[in-house]
Amino acid sequence: MQYRHVQVIDGKGALRGIAVDALGQLYAAGDSEIKLFDVAGQLTRRWPTTRPAHAVAVAGDGAVYAGELGQIEIFDGAGKLLHTWRDEKLLGRVTAIGFTRDSVFAGDAADRAIRRFDRAGKFLNNIGKDNPVNGLLIPNGVVDFAVDSQGAIYAANPGKHRVERYTYTGQLLDHIGRFDGIDPAGFTGCCNPTNIAVRDRIYTTEKAGPRVKAYDFSGKLLAVIATQLFHPNCKNMSIAVDAHNRVYVVDTERQAILVFEPVKA
Amino acid sequence: MSQELTRRDFARGTVLAVLAGGAVFLVRKANGQIVWQVNAARCINSRLGDTGVEACNLCTTECVVALSAVRAVNEYSKCGRCNICPAYFNITSAVNELGQPSEKLCPRDAIARKPIGKVDPEDPANNFYEYLIDEEKCDGCGKCVMKCKEPLGLGSITLRIRYDKCVNCNRCAIARACPQNALSQLPVGQAL
Repeated sequence: MQYRHVQVIDGKGALRGIAVDALGQLYAAGDSEIKLFDVAGQLTRRWPTTRPAHAVAVAGDGAVYAGELGQIEIFDGAGKLLHTWRDEKLLGRVTAIGFTRDSVFAGDAADRAIRRFDRAGKFLNNIGKDNPVNGLLIPNGVVDFAVDSQGAIYAANPGKHRVERYTYTGQLLDHIGRFDGIDPAGFTGCCNPTNIAVRDRIYTTEKAGPRVKAYDFSGKLLAVIATQLFHPNCKNMSIAVDAHNRVYVVDTERQAILVFEPVKA
Repeated sequence: MSQELTRRDFARGTVLAVLAGGAVFLVRKANGQIVWQVNAARCINSRLGDTGVEACNLCTTECVVALSAVRAVNEYSKCGRCNICPAYFNITSAVNELGQPSEKLCPRDAIARKPIGKVDPEDPANNFYEYLIDEEKCDGCGKCVMKCKEPLGLGSITLRIRYDKCVNCNRCAIARACPQNALSQLPVGQAL
């Protein structure tokens, strides 16, 4: 399986988290704003957040969630602020957000945990905290996860060189991945993968050196999507995948989003 | 006439000021108040942005002291306490049965590690580790410093001059050899 690099989107400033909606529009969090790019990669809208935005996600109803220090801000698609969930303890530094039909999940890097809330913002349970021992190890400073269509949570656990799969109630089901500094099927360095996306397969990004890979759900490496195209000092490269399996990856140093698509056999 | 005297006085005053400044410097240096130190932001082993290059070991080879006065120092508050520490392991060596690299990085085996906090004896990947540098073994070669820096590590290890080892040369041999001009003399209060 192979991918080809098809596009570079100018991030128009710092980029931390990205997300793609059902229409293929790309949302980017960075500095203290959310930026919206159309399917051609043109910036069409941007609006401010009250605090620096570390993550962005788009719910099924089109609401845009921005993860920040101590809070999540919820906007409509036009950038109008609808709600703010503020909790300095449970939302210390929100670096990832995901959804199921009934729940909202937030990765809190300050406490190395994924929080589950109901749609009204009521806290329900933790995921990945001290499970099984010491929980999510994130020397890179980011908790990142993805939710699959069945509602399972796939969390990057870079200090353990794994991707862990949890139920939404926090039960660890299994994990894929291992350390290896030579074999590309492994995760190298002190702490990889740093970021993750899930759709038809599991997509990961790594730092030092920057690398994007795809795995099947049994943990078999399917493709090394890219290595050399990124600035070598990139870290915590957010990744998103659209309905056509196009892969969007942030180059944090060049402040750009690189787009890849699978090559049809 | 008075103009000539003023010029002469001025010249004499300048010379005296320079001599006095030099004397103060030498007195402070003799008293150990002026010391050599490595600027981590200039040292190529710790300076951000220099990745994929060999570690510089001039601190090891150029120091006039038999075992260099420069040591690698791990600042624990910055350390990630990783299972796979690139400053401890040679991360490109073969993986052993514990899922870890089979070789250490330090050529003098000067770094020791131990699990800390809540320890899982079954799976080393689940643990945090403390990394301790044995300064009696370390010779400041900089290999661990190069591997610890961002983005591979967190930059918790840097090179520092140990005052009890340094003989405080007027013209430090490492400073003269360092292409990055990373060593400078600082008052004790400003040095690490």
